[in-house]
Amino acid sequence: MLVLRNVTYSTDGRKILENINMRFKEGMSYSILGPNGAGKSTIAYILMGVIKPSEGKVLLDERDITDLGITERAKLGITLLWQEPARYDGITVEEYLTLGGKLNVDTRDVKGVLEIVGLPYELYCHRFVDRSLSGGERKRIELASILLLKPKYAILDEPDSGLDITASELIDRILGYLKKVGTTVILITHHEEIAKKTDFSYFVCGGKVVRKGFSDEVVEYYKRACGKCPLLEGMSDGH
Amino acid sequence: MVIKIDRVKEYEALVEIYKKEGLDTSLFGDRIAAIIISGDKIIGLNNVEGVEIVGEEIENGVKAEVRIADGTELPFPIHLCTGFLKDEGYQRVIFDITIGKNSKVKFLSHCIFPYAKDFTHEAYAKIRIGEGSSVVYEDEHVHGEGVKMFSKTEVEVGKRGRYTGKFSLTKHRAKDLKLEMTAELDDYAVTELVSKIKAVKDDSVEVKEVAYLKGSHAKANLKTTVIAFDDARANVINEAYGLGDYTKGHVECHEIVKGNADVQTIPLLRVKNDKAELTHEASIGRINEAQLMQLMAKGLTEEEAAELIIKGLLRE
Repeated sequence: MLVLRNVTYSTDGRKILENINMRFKEGMSYSILGPNGAGKSTIAYILMGVIKPSEGKVLLDERDITDLGITERAKLGITLLWQEPARYDGITVEEYLTLGGKLNVDTRDVKGVLEIVGLPYELYCHRFVDRSLSGGERKRIELASILLLKPKYAILDEPDSGLDITASELIDRILGYLKKVGTTVILITHHEEIAKKTDFSYFVCGGKVVRKGFSDEVVEYYKRACGKCPLLEGMSDGH
Repeated sequence: MVIKIDRVKEYEALVEIYKKEGLDTSLFGDRIAAIIISGDKIIGLNNVEGVEIVGEEIENGVKAEVRIADGTELPFPIHLCTGFLKDEGYQRVIFDITIGKNSKVKFLSHCIFPYAKDFTHEAYAKIRIGEGSSVVYEDEHVHGEGVKMFSKTEVEVGKRGRYTGKFSLTKHRAKDLKLEMTAELDDYAVTELVSKIKAVKDDSVEVKEVAYLKGSHAKANLKTTVIAFDDARANVINEAYGLGDYTKGHVECHEIVKGNADVQTIPLLRVKNDKAELTHEASIGRINEAQLMQLMAKGLTEEEAAELIIKGLLRE
């Protein structure tokens, strides 16, 4: 189980996250739902080891991994889909997906994950992961990369951003595949329809968890808040 | 291919180096127009229909004229092989290349100095491209630890002509490299000059790419990538001159630095025609943090991620 315990994060004298407690059980899917600027991506970065919390701990199966770096966490099975995937001049899609041949996969595996994200292998394997790809194509390749890794924990930061109207179906396929291979999904989004696809949700606002529970229930609450932060808007949640 | 009888061993040694470096040995075949130089000797020469190569041995080197007839389209590249198989010395090569009208050719130039410890190589090439012709000139180098190299290429691109010049020194020491490529473009002519260099230890690299957009609607794209490690120094100058109506030029320089390397880039854009349009793009510094972190999040170490990124940047 991956756990955030009493995590606070401050930068430039500003508190971005305050006393965040989250638990992600193996094989389940979670969403972290909230409006822009709520601190959702900061949570993703703390889970991945991109930044360290100012206070609190990150635990993996009760082991304190707060001080571990990105690579070490990745080797423990945690990975992150960045909201804006980077571009790489001169690296082909196939090289990128196989990490320059370091990932123990074959062409059939690569073909399979590209198919899931809707990109024909023959058309894309030799293309470069550079600016010649559209934002949507790049995002799909990044999703394929996550699928190929078969991680224990996949943190997906706004996986539908930059995608076309078929995004919802694609997310269904991604979640279906990850569930099948036993990956715990932590999906970060401000779209209630995307959050609904997961088992449990955390509604984050103003750097705090304002609601947690089954996704349907949390999403309903989020809708009533019109996607805005009840802490900022002064909305009473009746709890 | 006609090989000089007393130079067969040198020829075979060059072929062996090609094999070792993963270069294409079929370039030594009879279907390929080629000149093979070793030191100050022409050790092999081959002409095919539409291509006439005339070589002359000069003091410390070789001078060669290459003439491509009008309307020549070759299925294979023209091979210019310049070798120096001793560890010290001096060599100069001069190429005078004229391409007729409406031709389409590719040159593969290989400079092979694998044992060089204290060696100076000077190369000068003048290339004239006739109207409507398309030329690709790829220059690849195999260097030992101690090569001092000065290379200057001047290209005149005729009306509606196209020239792509690619220089690559990424797998071997640059040591002391001065590279200059200049292109003058007539109406509707297009050029692309691309250099990729890796400098390590105490290497010193100077690159200058210049495009004179003289004719109307001429276009140029100059792109330099330098990876500088350790105590290497690099200085890159990209110049574009917008002289003709509706000319367009873009210069781009990317330099990645690691260790104590000292690099600078100077883009110079000069417009003398209010219908010309020139742009530039430059980046200099460490490997992009986001690129590194995103690969590390897949399990690569920082070094492995940097290696993959650099491999891509230097890809030919």
